[in-house]
Amino acid sequence: MIELDDLILGDNQFFGINHMSQQKAQELAERFNDTSEIVHAYHAAYDMGIRAFMLNSNDRAAEICDYLRANADQFPELGMYASVPYPHKYANLVAEKGVIATLQEVLAERSAMSLLGLAGSGLSMLTGDVTKIMTILVDVEMSMFRDLNVKVVYLQNIITDLLLGLALRDFFVAYSRHIRKRYNATPGFLTMNVPRLAAFLESSGVEESVICGSVNKLGYLMSPDKAAYEEYFTRPQKYPVTAMSIYASGAIPAAEAIAYVRQLGIQSIMFGASSRDHMKQTIELARSLDEKEMEQGVRRNA
Amino acid sequence: MESGLFSSQPPGAPNGNRKTLQAGIIGAGRMGITHLAIFGGHPDVRVSAVADNSPIVTHTLGRYRSDIALFKSYEEMLGRMPLDLVVIATPPHMHAAMIDAALDCGLSIFVEKPFTLAGDEARRLAARSRAVAGTHQVGYVNRFNDVFMIVKKLLKAGLLGRLISFCSDMFGRTVIRMEDNSGWRSERKTGGGALYEFGSHAIDLAVYLFGCPDQVVGTRLTPIYSSHIEDMVRTTFLYKSGLEGSVLVNWSDESHRKPTNRIEVFGERGKITADQQELKIFLKEEAEGFVKGWNIVYITDVFTPVPFYVRGYEFTRQLFHFAERARTKAENMASFDEGAITQHVLDMILADAGVEL
Repeated sequence: MIELDDLILGDNQFFGINHMSQQKAQELAERFNDTSEIVHAYHAAYDMGIRAFMLNSNDRAAEICDYLRANADQFPELGMYASVPYPHKYANLVAEKGVIATLQEVLAERSAMSLLGLAGSGLSMLTGDVTKIMTILVDVEMSMFRDLNVKVVYLQNIITDLLLGLALRDFFVAYSRHIRKRYNATPGFLTMNVPRLAAFLESSGVEESVICGSVNKLGYLMSPDKAAYEEYFTRPQKYPVTAMSIYASGAIPAAEAIAYVRQLGIQSIMFGASSRDHMKQTIELARSLDEKEMEQGVRRNA
Repeated sequence: MESGLFSSQPPGAPNGNRKTLQAGIIGAGRMGITHLAIFGGHPDVRVSAVADNSPIVTHTLGRYRSDIALFKSYEEMLGRMPLDLVVIATPPHMHAAMIDAALDCGLSIFVEKPFTLAGDEARRLAARSRAVAGTHQVGYVNRFNDVFMIVKKLLKAGLLGRLISFCSDMFGRTVIRMEDNSGWRSERKTGGGALYEFGSHAIDLAVYLFGCPDQVVGTRLTPIYSSHIEDMVRTTFLYKSGLEGSVLVNWSDESHRKPTNRIEVFGERGKITADQQELKIFLKEEAEGFVKGWNIVYITDVFTPVPFYVRGYEFTRQLFHFAERARTKAENMASFDEGAITQHVLDMILADAGVEL
């Protein structure tokens, strides 16, 4: 069974993503416009003992991966939690050109094609095998993480939840097999529908995978609702869960937010931090709860 | 492979003795697939047929969802399948004929925006739909956004007093470089361009909140990257009440990660600014539970959960609203009649810009 890190530094703040306020999102986009600001945040986090970084394969992530490779000696124990794909890239391309042209464009990028040993073959070899297309798209996205210690590869939530709604069981099975085989990493799924996804994965025969979903006391981005999540976490879980959006983009005070997910027995937290002080606050709060739990001999549900 | 576990009955949400609604989807592009996925989480709806001729879509569904009957033609699907409701998510120039055919079958219809390509056609279809049982909805999804629904309620309650001006702006990064301009989105006659394909959301939001303008002036349709269609729209709405509003739409603005709608409303008692996630209210005096000065409401304060989340709360909410209205026949929040008003305004904008329809 995979051992998930207790604290994983999320990446939304670096890319101007805030689910509560577009104004806050804008401020974050401005603050982290220069990649060196992101790099500073990584160093600060690593110095504070964080050993796990989440990174979505968006336009700017390649540059960050380059930095982490070039400075690997400064992050010797780092584990990456990758997420693929960057959905807005595909959404915009599909909106503009349609599905087929998007595939052609993505696969026609020479670097991607040569990397995959597909130069010259075009799309023709792929027609008729949609899971094959999926694995190739994953490989295109994952190429930026080469030579980094990737522990988990999450399928991004827009894609996970779309495929969940379409009930495409074989995709989930093929994805998790591919991630284990090709990257020797743990397959993961980001979702806004944790209880439904877990039941679906289990009935589809998906093994040794992990889930990351929003868990917060407001019930924000938790479908069908907060009560269903609370009920879900009273039962044993086949797929270890990492909680994200614990602050509901800033709506919940840190201490309450962390206490809530720990009450549900969730040990692994993906957290965002827009400043060094925020980061420090989350880490200290989580660790002080750890110490309390140790003292009280509370058994971890990890 | 067997049918999806959740395609008809998710655990914990049995549909009791209610009859399952049989749904068909015409056009399985980006929105058609999204609607198919959302229905996957609806306890009372089963998508039993899809009409589309894209090989990748039909191949995927054919291989992995053998419970869905696939058709190359929508006429054949409508003729052969016993359906209760249909979702039309094709390029807009194809909508009218499909709506007519679905009305002939007496079905409830959800059609993606824009409703059609002409106001008179939209009015004809809306009038026809009134004589057909069921519900008939246009995919103006902002009407189902928690924040915009609150703005509507506050304006209706008269929070700002007499309204003086508004802006309805929409930005996104759909077209951000010179392209070969292929595909339906780059032609007006197929329903493309920033006005129809993108800006109709901002225009419908203005219609939803303020009603149909009496006059449209000062329209500019500006290409940025596209060669023969607009990427930016700027126009002004005038109302007999004295209210005036500006609309700005730009789908070539790369500074926006995803499509964003913003409105600002100025009235004699204060001001409201809102986007999909956040509402700010400035009041001269306290009213309706809001303090004098600034009040800020975030989506996290006001959201209502949805049973299954796919691309945002409002996408699930609009489709579940449709399914619920298909059963109860209660008033639809984005009816064909409403869609026809927005279509009329789109006509007014094009006429003001000197575009021949």
